[in-house]
Amino acid sequence: MDFRLSPSQQILTTTARAFLRQHCPPELVQRLALDTRGFDEALWRRMAELGWPGLLIPAELGGSDGSLLDVIVLVEEMGRAGLPGPFVASAVVATSLVLAAASPAQQKRLLPALAAGERIASLALVEESGSFDPAAVALECAVPGRLSGRKLFVKDAHIADDLIVAVRVGAAPALIVVPTDRSGIARLPLDAISGEKLFEVTFDRVEIRPDDLLGAVGDGDALLAPALRAGALARTAEMVGGAQRVLELAVEHAKTRVQGGRPIGGYQAIQHSCADLVRDVDAARALLYVAAWKAAEGRPAEADAALAKAYAGEACLTVARRGHQIFGAISYCEEHPLHLLHKHIQAASLDFGDAQLHLETVARVIGLEGRS
Amino acid sequence: MNFDFTEAEQAFADEVRRFLRANPPETFAVDGMDAGYGSGANSRAFLKALAAQGWISMCWPTTLGGREQPMFMKLVLMEELALAGAPFGPLAGVWQTADAVIELGTERLRREVLPAIARGEATFWQGYSEPDAGSDLLALKTEARRDGDHYVIRGHKIWSSHAGIASHGLVFARTSREARRSRGFSMFVVANGTPGMDIRPIRSMTGEVYHHEVFLDDVRVSADLMLGPPGEGFQALLNGLDADRFWGRFYKAPALARVLGQLVDYANTTLVGGAPLARDPFVRRRLAAIAADIAALRLIFYRAGCLIRDGAPLTYETAMAKVYADETGQKLARLGMDLLGLWGPLREGSRWAKLGGQISHLYQTTLGHTIAGGTAEVLRTTVAVRGLGLAAEPKIAVDSKAR
Repeated sequence: MDFRLSPSQQILTTTARAFLRQHCPPELVQRLALDTRGFDEALWRRMAELGWPGLLIPAELGGSDGSLLDVIVLVEEMGRAGLPGPFVASAVVATSLVLAAASPAQQKRLLPALAAGERIASLALVEESGSFDPAAVALECAVPGRLSGRKLFVKDAHIADDLIVAVRVGAAPALIVVPTDRSGIARLPLDAISGEKLFEVTFDRVEIRPDDLLGAVGDGDALLAPALRAGALARTAEMVGGAQRVLELAVEHAKTRVQGGRPIGGYQAIQHSCADLVRDVDAARALLYVAAWKAAEGRPAEADAALAKAYAGEACLTVARRGHQIFGAISYCEEHPLHLLHKHIQAASLDFGDAQLHLETVARVIGLEGRS
Repeated sequence: MNFDFTEAEQAFADEVRRFLRANPPETFAVDGMDAGYGSGANSRAFLKALAAQGWISMCWPTTLGGREQPMFMKLVLMEELALAGAPFGPLAGVWQTADAVIELGTERLRREVLPAIARGEATFWQGYSEPDAGSDLLALKTEARRDGDHYVIRGHKIWSSHAGIASHGLVFARTSREARRSRGFSMFVVANGTPGMDIRPIRSMTGEVYHHEVFLDDVRVSADLMLGPPGEGFQALLNGLDADRFWGRFYKAPALARVLGQLVDYANTTLVGGAPLARDPFVRRRLAAIAADIAALRLIFYRAGCLIRDGAPLTYETAMAKVYADETGQKLARLGMDLLGLWGPLREGSRWAKLGGQISHLYQTTLGHTIAGGTAEVLRTTVAVRGLGLAAEPKIAVDSKAR
């Protein structure tokens, strides 16, 4: 058993931390959160130069041949910096779907561009039910045919070149990939406290062609499961990284903020609170690494990913909330970095299934008999 | 990263499982209460059966009768034993004492105590706490006065687990007055039955005897039964307590996983208002959430185990892990009591007791876990001060006359 990063993963995280410290300081995170578009193209291009968007993509298709575990340790650093943007949506989830389902022609068209960061893709899954369960998809579409209806909570739809849309063809689950410039697609922004760019996407008689189909009709749910798992793990990594940063900031504050003649970290009330932050972060990270390792090794990881996402959602949010209490009034300010780390964790805890959804998976795995 | 056992570890786990199938844990006679930590009851017969497999001494040097197995084998063994609910109560304490004797022991201790440990015949009580020295161990008053080639120990120890059925006590006493409060302490390995030693049981809230108080009235102990250098016992004790937090709690996650499995079965088979309890969304969520806690707890301990194996420095890891283990145990016991409702408080052996009455027992025993071996408060302070570098709270002198 070995919990340590491999030498190449250590290089990846060290590089990422230095890069993000320089190119993604809290001021930029703040500015992008308040900006409507909120996308820094120069930063995205630099990330592409480092090969990050292509990490999951094979070298012969322009990628850098990494594993899901590499992606997870990288995203943990992104979460630590509070990096906004489409990395998880495009380079993890959409890329996973294209890798798993696309025809050779589609792969050749999409993957080199995704790897180079020249195209951005996002998954349109959730509908008014608010569920990440593929079984909840109701949007119907004939292929070929016309698509009318809407999807909600589509991340970074405004900068996406392609949307992967989960639909039903008749009763069968299917995925289609459509460019966002196709006539009849509208992207309407939602205004979330996190500053994450979320959209309602409406489809008004959008033309769907036979070669828009991603994978076979009927395979939609089977294709979605591993990609949603990768998304859940990546979002868990963001939470763990974000919570790690909250812990560091809170401890630094506890050492330097003097009240009553000593640093507040010299009071047991604050010490014990900080001790619990360490436990929450360590435990969430351990579950994350095991789940990501199993998924990267191609082993069954459904239960582990569900454990990790459910646990981290609760633990990391607790860290963020306790962080505010340790910081006191200053952390209530817009210019203070804590609230965006907090809201980032909050958003990640809901994306790709909230704790309730994942705990239901855990309930099944530990042997509780099904709900009627 | 790699979260698999090695082939040798996996083969050993299989061997332990075969042993447990051939020797069902419930067939062994039990001598002392299960304190709920996860290592089951105290059973001399089971300890001897482990000894007969060569498992107690498997990690010792060959020169001392061991087989120099890697330390991880002990983790594999404890996990399998705990998953099976085996009564291996004193094993972790025995291992720690053996390690201390191997590292620090006199020739006599190595010659006399180690073979008895390897045969499964020696178990140890800890003579650390005193009535006025709990979390503040340095306040202890027990003294060991040098008298020729002997020490004469006088004092009063308390909360010594299973002292009445153990073979030896590890008695921590002041051997000299030094300028520094933490110097001048030494540890002695004292055989039960040594003249002057009076061991009295304390009946606990479970109705059974687990703790004892021990009166030491001029107990004469040969100087070569001192464990470690004279006057330097406190650091050795702290190291021992650190190790105790790991070894004495490692098996909690698998033991709790076993109890969780029983609660899941109970929820599946118990009808409430005509439907299985398992279909109640709130019950499902609470059981699933604690399954996540138990999974995380197991990994926290294995991570600390890897650091110990690799000789990496530890600061906060075992203190944090102990608190998490103990609080998770309390949470599971509380959940079990909630699920069992009116049946929860029924004792083992009572008419209508569910799950053998063990949940009411666990509910009571787990209360003590955040107190014993370093309170949750002391250990959170350890995590903050030693792990995070926060400043220790200033000590405030108390004028005893003013109280």
